[in-house]
Formats: sequence, C-alpha cells, structure tokens
Amino acid sequence: MDLRKFEERVVKSLMIASTCIVAGSLVFILATILFAGLPSLSIEMLTKTPEGGYYLGKEGGILNAIVGSLVLGVTATVIAAMVALPVALYLNVYLRKGSKFGLAVRFFLDALSGVPSIVYGAIGFTVMVWLGMQASLLAGILTVALLILPIMVRAMDEVLKMIPLELKESSFALGTTKLETATRVIARQALPLLLTAVMVSFGRGIGDAASVLFTAGFTDSMPRSLFGPVATLPLAIFFQLGTPFPEVQARGYASAVVLTAIVLFISLASRFLMRASTKNQSR
Amino acid sequence: MGLNTYISVRDLSVSYGGQRALNNISIDIPDGKITAVIGPSGCGKTTFLKALNRLIELHDGTRVTGQVLIDGEDIYDPAVEVTHLRKKVGILMQRPQVLPMSIYDNVAFGPRIHGTRKKRLLDQLVERHLVEAGLWSEVQDRLHAPASQLSIGQQQRLCLARALAVEPEVILGDEPTSALDPISAQRIEEHLFELGKSHTVVLVTHSLEQARRLADHVLFLYLGDLVEQGPAQDVFDRPKYLRTRCYLSGRYVECPNVDQELNLRGKLTTFDQLESTGHSLRVLGTGQVLKIIVDHYSGDNGVAKALEAKGHRILDVKRLNQSEWEILIQKEGGDAYEI
Repeated sequence: MDLRKFEERVVKSLMIASTCIVAGSLVFILATILFAGLPSLSIEMLTKTPEGGYYLGKEGGILNAIVGSLVLGVTATVIAAMVALPVALYLNVYLRKGSKFGLAVRFFLDALSGVPSIVYGAIGFTVMVWLGMQASLLAGILTVALLILPIMVRAMDEVLKMIPLELKESSFALGTTKLETATRVIARQALPLLLTAVMVSFGRGIGDAASVLFTAGFTDSMPRSLFGPVATLPLAIFFQLGTPFPEVQARGYASAVVLTAIVLFISLASRFLMRASTKNQSR
Repeated sequence: MGLNTYISVRDLSVSYGGQRALNNISIDIPDGKITAVIGPSGCGKTTFLKALNRLIELHDGTRVTGQVLIDGEDIYDPAVEVTHLRKKVGILMQRPQVLPMSIYDNVAFGPRIHGTRKKRLLDQLVERHLVEAGLWSEVQDRLHAPASQLSIGQQQRLCLARALAVEPEVILGDEPTSALDPISAQRIEEHLFELGKSHTVVLVTHSLEQARRLADHVLFLYLGDLVEQGPAQDVFDRPKYLRTRCYLSGRYVECPNVDQELNLRGKLTTFDQLESTGHSLRVLGTGQVLKIIVDHYSGDNGVAKALEAKGHRILDVKRLNQSEWEILIQKEGGDAYEI
C-alpha cells in the first residue's frame, strides 16, 4: 500500500478524533449541567433572592448572584477595556516593532495571564486588609479587572498587530499624528475584533470564582453599594453544590446553567456585533 | 502652486537593519514636472520615494543619512513637523488602501484633521476632489457608503482624491497603476499627467512605457545607486551608461570586464587625473576597459568630458561612498559593450 496515502489517512483520522474530543467535551458539559440543573430551574429562581433557609432547600432564588455577577463583570470589563485599549495602541502605534520595551511589556502580560486567579484574589484581599476595607463590590470589580486586563491587552495586541502597514502609511501620509491614526483609523479598522477581545475577557471575568471569593464576598441580598459585599454566580454555584441536600445541589446545577447561558449569550452577541460593525472595514 | 517647492536630495543613504537600500543619492528634482523613477525590482525606488515624505521611518530598523531639502528645509531636521511635511507631500500607493470609513469621510479625513470643520466647506472640498479624481459621477449618490465597497480601480481614484484633498504641492506615486486593470490604470495615468501640469510629481514605475508617456525627467536607480538621470528624452534615447542601456533595452544588466585599474585618490586636479588616465589608456587595446577611482567628482566631470571628446566611452560612473567614485572607461573604437 502507498505509504504516503496511509500516512495521510492515519493523521487525518487522528485530527478528526481530536476534533470530536473538543466538540464532545462541550456537549458533555452542557448535557451534564442541563440534565442535572434544568429540572430545578424555575422562574422563581431567576426572579427571587434567597430567603431564610434557601441553602437548606427552602424558598428563594439566585437573582442576587445574577445581578451581582452582571454588575461586577460588566464594570470590571469596562474598566479593564479603558486601560487595555491605550496599552495595546501604544504597543502597536507608538513603539517600533522590535522595541525592547514592547517585548518586555508583552512578556510581563503573558506572565500575568498565567497567574492563577486565586492569586489575584489573595492579592486583592491583602490590599483590602491594608486599606481596612471589607469584602465589597468595589474590591471585586478591581480584582476581576486586574485579572482580565492582561488577557484583554494581549488579545487586543494580537488584533492590532494584524493591521496592515499600508493602512498606517495611508493615514500617516495625510499628515496625521500618531494619536489621530491610532484612534481614527487603526482602532476603527480593528473595532470588530477589539470588541471580540473585550467579550472574551468578559466571559473569563464573569465565570471566575477564585478571584471574587475573598474580595467580593457573598451576600443573600441584592447589590446596593460599592462598599458592601456582593453575590456572584460562580460562588452561588460553589455554595449550593457544597450543601449536603440534593435539591440544593440541583439548584447549583441550575445556577451553572444560568452562568453558562450568560457566557454563551455574550459569545453569540459578540459574533453578531462583529458582523454588524464590519461594514466599513477596508479589505 | 508648487512652483517654489524645490526638492533637493543630498547624499541620501537609507539602510534597513544594516542592509543598504540607497547609496549616497544626490539629485535635484525639477519643479512642476513629472519625474519618473525607474529601475528593476528591489533597486530602492520605493525606498527613495518614501524617503521624500519620511514614511520610510515607519519601517523597522531604518537608518537615514544625508539630507532631503524641500523648500530649502531639511525634512530630516528634528525641528520639522512631520505632519506638515506629509500634508505638503502626498502619496499614492501601489495598492489602494481606503480608510475604514465612508467614501465621503475618506476624502474629508485629511481636511478635517488639518482643521476644516464647516460642513459646507467640507462638502465642497469632497465634491471638488472627487471630480478632480474622476470619481464623482460614480459615487455622488452613495457618498456615505463604505469605501471598501468600491472596485479596486475606484478605490485608487478615491485614494487620489483623498491625497489631493489636503492640497499637497508634491505628489508621489509608488507604482500607482500596477495593481489596476488596464482601463483603471489608464485613467489614473491621465490624472497624473494632468497633475503634472500644476504639481511636482515623482512617479515610481516599473513600466518603461508609462515612464516614456508621462515623464519629463527620469532617474534610473540600480541596486541602490543612482546610475543616471536627466531629461526623459535624453535618458531614453541617448542613455549614457552601460547599466542604463542594458536596462532600457531589456537586457540583463552586466558589468564589463575590467582590464586595468587606476587609483587616482588624492590626485587633486582634473589635469592630474586626465594625465594619468591618458597614460593608462594608451597601453590598453581597442575596446578594453579601464577602471579609475577618483575622490572628487561632479556630475559633469572634466575627466569624463575630455575623454569622451577624444572618442573614449564612459561606461559607468558609480558612487562608492561619500567621497569616492568609480569610473569605467572603454578605449575608443571598441564595440564590445555596444547594445
């Protein structure tokens, strides 16, 4: 038999197998949480806060955690984006490609992206103790913003790197300053992918439990103040799954369904936004 | 417009990461005319062009030495505002690159950043320059559509309108028709020809035909050297040097075999040089080649002139560095390197 043909077939089969593992994992995860959580998912869960004895199986819902997670996630993402965009533009428009400083910054960002989120949580906690603060929405926001910042910068950086030099030249050739080229041409050209970078980071931030464990705390009431503790979905899942009661555990799975749905929705929305905002992009 | 813009390049060298792309180029570019820069790929044409509006600085590891004087001002002087320079010197690229915005905004972009805010004024500007670039009739009813929807030929005309909208005095063209279909190419060419009447145009082209049609003046670059320059008629019909003749006739550029070398560094007067050169030539056979190296030379060097008057032929003058030139002389009567 033709050896090259054989090789081709074997490698192709391996590739298909790998692809199936990836797709299968997602299906498996979704099936598990849907199977375990969907039966106890109710309107009540989505619209009520925990009442007395909720964690023992009594009345209530996780609205506090849904709202808390959304407020915390959105705010942290906005803050991170406000810092990340200037950094990414600076790295790509102001610095030369081979700049030592740029290399160093990218190295630190990569290292930061690899720091486990519990470490961010611990650092946030340490700073809170120094400042004499208690676990609060503000501390949670800042910690999560810090957690997703390096991921967002690097994602934006990769996007901006793809901008063709010719486009920059075309803009500079008209007598623009770097700032004008960065904000009016490059950011605009990259907008769809920059939005995707923001959305991906949001998904990462909203689903993280460890960073908010010490910093945002947990509460059964709705978030009211920046300086009070706030409930988040990952911790709601954690606490519910940690109880010995099967019906509460089932609600934990239901909460997981909610969190997954939010992330999935964000992912779809970012695709939609990307398509809607590409109309002006030059090829 | 453009009449007092005077581009004078003095000893311009450009290197990318240590690799020389342009070698001590000195030339005055005639005002209000079309100057074509010709030469094979990789000879430094684009580098030369981009050195004239400092776009070259966007490339990594570029080092520029020498001077480019525009209106008597060295554009590489740190005190020069690069945004003003680039407003004065517009460029049309090889591949049109529209900005990620509407057709209208593409043209209005330049005037806006340079301070024109009034809508009525912008409307007029946009219309005028789109008309000038020959695009108005095709886009007047969809000015606010994305520019990326235009065909590539239309995009190039849009880029032309965009460049004209900042009212440059000099227009650089980096093979602006090479990516276009023949009809679009012809239209751009016609516009460039018209522009040449009111602007100084420097056009890089690898199409000799195009250079013949458009150019008043021609520069021939080869491997980073400025080999020959002069009025288009002269360069095309009576090229002086071997490398130019080879290139223009579509032949592989060859280097003549050198039969004898003569070092005239430190010979201070033209007379000394002429004397020594004469001696050396005498011992050579008909058609043989003498290479001399001199350390002062101006475009119309006395040595070269005198030797040519005697029937010898100057095959090539190559600038080696800031102060040294290599001149190849073929003894009279030979036809070894005739083309």
